[in-house]
Amino acid sequence: MTRSAWLDGWRRVFRAPAIVAGVFVITLAAPVPFALVLGRAIETHLGRSLAADAAADGVHYDWWQEFMSQASGIASTFTPAVIGFASTLDHLSRVLDGSGEIFPIAALVAGYLLLWVFLSGGIIDRYARQRPTRAYGFFGAAGACFWRLLRLGLIAALIYGLLFMYVHRWLFDEAYGRLTRDLSVERTAFMWRVMFYALFGALLVAVNITFDYARIRLVVEDRYSALGALRAAVAFVLRHTDRVMALYAANAFVFALLIAVWALAAPGAGGTGWTMWIAFASSQLYLLARLVLKLQFMASQTSLFQASLAHAGYTAAPPPVWPESPAAEAIGT
Amino acid sequence: MRLSPAAFVSLLLLSCLIDVDARQPAARQPGVQEFDQPQAGGRSPRNANYEIDVALDHAARRLTARETIRWRNTSANATSELQFHLYWNAWRDLESTWLRERRLAGTFRPPRADAWGSIDVTRVRVRDADLTAHTRFIAPDDGNTVDQTVMSVPLPFVVPPNESIDIEVEWTAKVPRPFARTGYVGNYYFIAHWFPKLGVLEDAGWNTHQFHSATEFYSDYGVYDVRITVPQGFVVGASGRQVERTDVAGGLTRHRYRGEDIHDFAWTTSPDFVEAKQTFTHATLPKVEMRLLLQPEHAGQEQRHFDATAVALRHYGEWFGPYPYDHLTVVDPAFQSISGGMEYPTIFTAGTRWIAPSAVSQPEGVTIHEAGHQFWYGIIGTNEFEHAWMDEGLTTFSTIRAASEAGAPDGIAPRFFGGFIPWVIDGIALSRFDDANRYGYRERAEADAPATRTFRYWPGTHVGISYGKTALWLHTLERHLGWSVLQRAMSTYFDRWKFRHPQPTDFFASLTEASGQDLSWFFDETYRSSNVFDYAIQSFSSTRVRLKPDSTSEDRYRTIVVAQRLGEAIFPVEVVTRFRDGHQVSERWNGRDRRVIYTYERASEALSAHVDPERVLLLDVNYTNNSATLAPRAHEAGRKWGLKWLVWLQELLLTYAFFV
Repeated sequence: MTRSAWLDGWRRVFRAPAIVAGVFVITLAAPVPFALVLGRAIETHLGRSLAADAAADGVHYDWWQEFMSQASGIASTFTPAVIGFASTLDHLSRVLDGSGEIFPIAALVAGYLLLWVFLSGGIIDRYARQRPTRAYGFFGAAGACFWRLLRLGLIAALIYGLLFMYVHRWLFDEAYGRLTRDLSVERTAFMWRVMFYALFGALLVAVNITFDYARIRLVVEDRYSALGALRAAVAFVLRHTDRVMALYAANAFVFALLIAVWALAAPGAGGTGWTMWIAFASSQLYLLARLVLKLQFMASQTSLFQASLAHAGYTAAPPPVWPESPAAEAIGT
Repeated sequence: MRLSPAAFVSLLLLSCLIDVDARQPAARQPGVQEFDQPQAGGRSPRNANYEIDVALDHAARRLTARETIRWRNTSANATSELQFHLYWNAWRDLESTWLRERRLAGTFRPPRADAWGSIDVTRVRVRDADLTAHTRFIAPDDGNTVDQTVMSVPLPFVVPPNESIDIEVEWTAKVPRPFARTGYVGNYYFIAHWFPKLGVLEDAGWNTHQFHSATEFYSDYGVYDVRITVPQGFVVGASGRQVERTDVAGGLTRHRYRGEDIHDFAWTTSPDFVEAKQTFTHATLPKVEMRLLLQPEHAGQEQRHFDATAVALRHYGEWFGPYPYDHLTVVDPAFQSISGGMEYPTIFTAGTRWIAPSAVSQPEGVTIHEAGHQFWYGIIGTNEFEHAWMDEGLTTFSTIRAASEAGAPDGIAPRFFGGFIPWVIDGIALSRFDDANRYGYRERAEADAPATRTFRYWPGTHVGISYGKTALWLHTLERHLGWSVLQRAMSTYFDRWKFRHPQPTDFFASLTEASGQDLSWFFDETYRSSNVFDYAIQSFSSTRVRLKPDSTSEDRYRTIVVAQRLGEAIFPVEVVTRFRDGHQVSERWNGRDRRVIYTYERASEALSAHVDPERVLLLDVNYTNNSATLAPRAHEAGRKWGLKWLVWLQELLLTYAFFV
């Protein structure tokens, strides 16, 4: 069942290319104004300077340090970690280390996450029905589920917040500090850190999985109560732990594979002209792959959920009256 | 013999009078010592010679020790007081000056209960007089009555100039967990500035500063004969050379080290050290035995440490003067020890990581730097409390120059996941101006003037000013005067002041002498002020003009270049204008006025104007505005980096999307 859900997930994702295209466009477009501001700040700083030549043709590190010494706001995030694979490590590291200093772009991040909360209803609905719902269907489902998903999202934010504020702090500041303060061997300290990453990562994954299925149950079963969906999700995960975990692991493995490939393929600073656009295009390809993978998590988990319950595989049929929940739709046929 | 209190008070009053008299201004330069010439058979004055016997109680983390100091008064005046540094008392409680300053700097985290360290003098005897009861703590820098890092011992007699006395001191010390540079972690100990150590009696009086969070040390040269007793199986490294090793009762081993013509003594011990030795050889420089005490997990980096040490010995030896000792110990500090990157005579700590990419200068950078301190600190005994730039700045400049000459790794690698995982950024190679600017000078350019005594700097500005600004102005001088002149000045200074205590003016005098120029204007800007250098092209145009309205053959381009001085500091600069036909016009501007205007009428259009195109003035805090072109590529650069950052931002969004 896990394997078929995994494969089915891919099938559902690729049969709804508009969703992929939509979330890609959003992910590309949302930060563009910020990038324009930064690009403009760089342009202003360089002015008519000859330093722009070196900055355009490669990395002008001296100029960069000068720029950074005067930078504030979003420009303060413009560090060498923006180059190539360092960017990926930077973000993953910040999340796991709980050191995400995103204040200058906090509004963008918040807006983007809110957009995902909104879109999740439409996306899960579409993947559950396995047939085109068209824009009106997609946005109808998204709109109908938004407030419920938002309530669920707030609960998730609370739990993640508690995880980072208390568990992470305890693990990495207290326990890790205590365990390693007398260590004279870095390797051992690193092993401890890896263990704590694994432990905290497992907690994150557990919460993540639970809320993934809560979202699915909330949309697919047309639930109104976020807490009820969460409770139902916990029950589902506990009943099907092996399958749920195996599916998550399969998707996580693809993520690791993607990251490994990107580590080898990520373009460096490069120059301007067509090489710059090729580098940008390859980066977008990578980001697209990550988006597809995120959708695959949603689609395959939806598939697993549908396949695990008694409702005849949740095969979607045209709704008698839209919007109707996929579950009701399945029963109705 | 014990003195009666009355007799002691009388002597004390008398000695104070003499002491006050001794401090009358005699138009002497601060820091001068009248009798600081090398002793026969030695390289240095050898006026502070220490015989120390110390035992480490590993279980209790304590030292029990005694020392006999043979001290000679090298000042021009008599004294009736001794002053000792008791550095470890900086970590005795929260109210020490060191910890108060650390809190001001905003880099303080409260230590755990078992982290504190301290040093308690249990006995002081001079000429059979037990002076223990008369010792007192003084705070000459800030009057902090709680600070116990300087101990004053009034003498019941006066010590005339050039006369010697023997001082016996006994003490116990609690080894701290490292606050900075010294202490223990697990089985690893790095024991530095650990013994009651005399200040420096200058002609102007005792120069014994409290321990400050940003500054280091200052002391006289001598011979150190130190017996160190540690558990058997512990490897010991120390200043000087091992001359004896004896197993003693109780499962202990006594190591005896002797170092000559050094002004401090540090040691380290751990059962885990992997020991390696190599010999530095050179056609014209003396051989040096390099001993490396490496952490087992860094075994693969052995050669990198030796190579980097050899770079320093070679280049500094060739440029400034030979390393005079035949031994040098490199200590690879243990993880979490906070003892890395620190210099002591003939021994220093390097610093590396378990994962250390070969493209990045770690351990090379820190090794070359600390090995270089053997010259600018070890051999040239500067007062680091007051003029930290004289060792840190000169060493930073020398490090960057030596690393560049030797082709040391020049990549950068930000570290991720708790700092364990480095990632080398392709396309970034550090150069001399990148490297010198990395110390944060730009951000703190106006924070303090180097002429301010270093311990008076605002905590947190020391690195930017002492390291960064000095290295930048030395690089600037190198470009302004030429390396041969600067090298001659530095080697003259090195030769003239080795094993002595030079003042800033002595260094400036060597530069003036070697260059044959009055450079006071430069030192006024760089040393005595916190003014910043910032030259710019204010405007630049090149437009076609018809000089004679009735003729087309007289069309010319009128090029107007306005160069501007934005900063307060002044430096002569070159203003170069390049033309489309390949010609360029170079103007020498003394840089004094706020701006200068150059107008050219030529057949060719101008392409660019550039103030200081050769980047002589590395101190210019904003070099980007130094040039202007008629075909700017800022838009291209802005677009390229905007796109790079866009990808970074998209990935950040996607990473956070994990949570929804």
